[in-house]
Amino acid sequence: MKKKVLAVVLAAVMAMGLAACGSREDAKESKTGDEKTYTVGISQFAEHGSLDNCREGFIEGLKESGFEEGKNLKVEVKNAAADQGTAKQISDAFVSDKADLICGIATPSAQAAYNSAMNTDIPVIFTAVTDPKAAKLANEDGTPAGEVTGTSDELPIKKQLEMIHKVLPDAKKVGILYTTSEVNSVSAIKTYEKLAGDYGITIVTKGVSQTADISLAADEILSEVDCLTNLTDNTVVNSLATILDKANEKKIPVFASEVEQVKLGCVAAEGIDYIALGKQTGKMAAEVLKGEKKASEMKYETISEPGLYVNTKAAKDLGITLDEEFVKSAVESFDSISK
Amino acid sequence: MAIFVTTLEQGLIYGILALGVYITYKILDFPDLTVDGSFPLGAAITATMIANGVNPYLTIPASFLAGAAAGVCTGLIHVKCKVRDLLSGIIMMTALWTINLRLAGTANVPIFGDESIFDNSWMNKVFGGGLASYKVLVVVLVIAVISKVLLDLYLKTKSGLLLRAVGDNANLVTSLAKDQGNVKILGLSIANGLVALAGSIFCQEQRVFEISSGTGAIVIGLASVIIGTSLFKNVRLVNTTTAVLIGSVIYKACVAAALKFFEPQDMKLITAVLFLIILIIGMDRKKKVKKNA
Amino acid sequence: MLELKNIRKYYNPGTLNEMCLFEDFNLTADKGDFISVVGSNGSGKTSMLNILCGSISVEKGQILMDGEDISGMKEYKRNRRIGRVYQNPAMGTCPSMTILENMSLADNKGGTYGLGKGVNKARKAHYQKLLGSLNLGLENKMDVKVGSLSGGQRQAMALLMSTLTPIDYLILDEHTAALDPKTAELIMELTDRIVKEKNLTTIMVTHNLRYAVEYGSRLLMMHQGQIVLDIAGEEKQKMKVDDILGKFNEISIECGN
Repeated sequence: MKKKVLAVVLAAVMAMGLAACGSREDAKESKTGDEKTYTVGISQFAEHGSLDNCREGFIEGLKESGFEEGKNLKVEVKNAAADQGTAKQISDAFVSDKADLICGIATPSAQAAYNSAMNTDIPVIFTAVTDPKAAKLANEDGTPAGEVTGTSDELPIKKQLEMIHKVLPDAKKVGILYTTSEVNSVSAIKTYEKLAGDYGITIVTKGVSQTADISLAADEILSEVDCLTNLTDNTVVNSLATILDKANEKKIPVFASEVEQVKLGCVAAEGIDYIALGKQTGKMAAEVLKGEKKASEMKYETISEPGLYVNTKAAKDLGITLDEEFVKSAVESFDSISK
Repeated sequence: MAIFVTTLEQGLIYGILALGVYITYKILDFPDLTVDGSFPLGAAITATMIANGVNPYLTIPASFLAGAAAGVCTGLIHVKCKVRDLLSGIIMMTALWTINLRLAGTANVPIFGDESIFDNSWMNKVFGGGLASYKVLVVVLVIAVISKVLLDLYLKTKSGLLLRAVGDNANLVTSLAKDQGNVKILGLSIANGLVALAGSIFCQEQRVFEISSGTGAIVIGLASVIIGTSLFKNVRLVNTTTAVLIGSVIYKACVAAALKFFEPQDMKLITAVLFLIILIIGMDRKKKVKKNA
Repeated sequence: MLELKNIRKYYNPGTLNEMCLFEDFNLTADKGDFISVVGSNGSGKTSMLNILCGSISVEKGQILMDGEDISGMKEYKRNRRIGRVYQNPAMGTCPSMTILENMSLADNKGGTYGLGKGVNKARKAHYQKLLGSLNLGLENKMDVKVGSLSGGQRQAMALLMSTLTPIDYLILDEHTAALDPKTAELIMELTDRIVKEKNLTTIMVTHNLRYAVEYGSRLLMMHQGQIVLDIAGEEKQKMKVDDILGKFNEISIECGN
């Protein structure tokens, strides 16, 4: 009996705790005038800095195109906590709630959304999908596979290589750490290997299968290379602090793939600003919502304006002198390392 | 409505996985972590076969056999190399990660445009019009029920009795002049066969193979088994395998409810709390039975 | 006929805790023998049974079954012809299965355990007759799980199950030790009846000196890995509990206890 009471009390406490910290903002439908309120379901695959930025940018992009939350837009955000089955449940719920548009953030969520909406007329807009062709969200020629389009976060690899070559003209071996199970990383490495020769660079890669392997793999790769460059590989990026520690010890510069990594102490990145990518996606979604274009008529897009990000403090620590022009050309430069 | 359909679909798919986990966890008393690898194994084989234009119905026996083979490997590691049960599963799970990656070629293989057991000319003819949205559910239900009935029938055969005996009292199996190791291997192979079968169906429902789909599969399976068996322990009309299937649907319903009413970040905590409550209630009942006896 | 020849058995060989149990142990159990084995704790009684059945290995020596060397044969294979009942009633039955299922399982011993029906309804009456002869009321509880039975009931079932199919040897490892005196008596009577009915060659380890005297055709006393007393026939018939007790004390005094 005691246990039963305990169970009930436990349940109550937990529920209250959750309700308290949950403080969910229910998207309120406003009733200003006769204007139609659009419902957009955002299905995000996991909690992750870049993906969060994508989401924020997306909502901002919609706003800039005239769809504002609380006015004529209702946004429902769901997160699958990195579970594929849950991603499907989320997008199925959006379909059954008759959302006007579903936005899938990251490949598994985008695929789930496309799958759920396949036999409906609900358009799907994706973002943070590195290779929409491999994910079969787009045909080989880049045209949409159905009522689905969006933006790819494919890295501007050519620009990145150019930049590395400029900063470290003597660098011959560039190392890349990646997770063997991330399709995006594998395809990015292929591109790197294809282009590196043009700059007299050889790419050295080390694959890991889990976070626990990173430390060892970093030690190993750092003993062979002149510098490291990052992909948007989740496992690796999450352990960036470890990698930077080891690299700094050996005075080996690390180049980043996006702005957040530069803030953390990477020297520079010719990378993606996920907020900008999200905005671009939001604007595409707005076109579809307005009925100007159908999703199936729009090719997927890559980031229209990759930007250079520089961390002068990180460069100084490593004894690298950065060309003044170079620093000036950056979209943003940081003179401190955030911890 | 559609959300109920999805919950049932996914609940039943994971229910087949839970049937496998029921064999290892409840019958064999073997905490088998192979599941995290054999579930995507079924998916990997299915995606590869379908992408190569093989008849989708063949993926069902193929993935069952592949899973069974994985189970045999875990069994051999445990029985012949005398590695502890938990570790044998971990070893096999780890090995399967690579095997799955190699089989599928990459970590994510979409099969959107291809035929599947749910989506082919024959199925579309049978389920025309308004029935189309129940197509997947009906197919999944049929497969889950067939799996359940076959498992029930099997557990009543001589071989099935022996399988139940080995988890209950392995010593008795030896007394009956049978090698308990072989019986365990058999059990593991059937269990992982079912798990891979679930993986195959999951892959076709999702229309994509994703390497990470196996992560945490064992947790879902265990949760389903424990929820089902605790809730229906004293309900005579519901036998254990049915209870396991229902347990899995309940688990998925909880996920759906958590998605609806809570922040996604809290989902795992809610699941854990629910789990704990069901366990505590289950324990209470056991005590009462003992007192009355 | 069961034979142990020149058995050498060490525990923890090669370590500091190395302990010699048998240096050169020999025993022959002739067909139809019902041997009661007594002895102090650690005298090697149970180890001897384990060596016979193959549960533990030996460093040296031969184990023969009807003249055939079975030293290398796996335990489960030996069990084809051996039935064994343990001290712990839980060892001989499956608690989560019903009486009927347990009986059916035991009834299939020696078979292939294939995909045929596990429970043969036609045999149910036969099982009920056997269980009825125990006078424990088990014949009316065919669908009750064995786990809910008392220790005595379970041990009676374990005994029935281990002798359900034709076997040649019966190994009893203190099989009455965990039971109350009344139930122990009942199990002993049942044992005697089955052994006689089926003409089983039996080795029974017991701490109950009265049983050792009353039952069986031969009596062994073991001490520190050696047989210190081996009597049979008339000599055994004349033996009294007090005689064995005296012998027992003699050994203990030698040991300095």
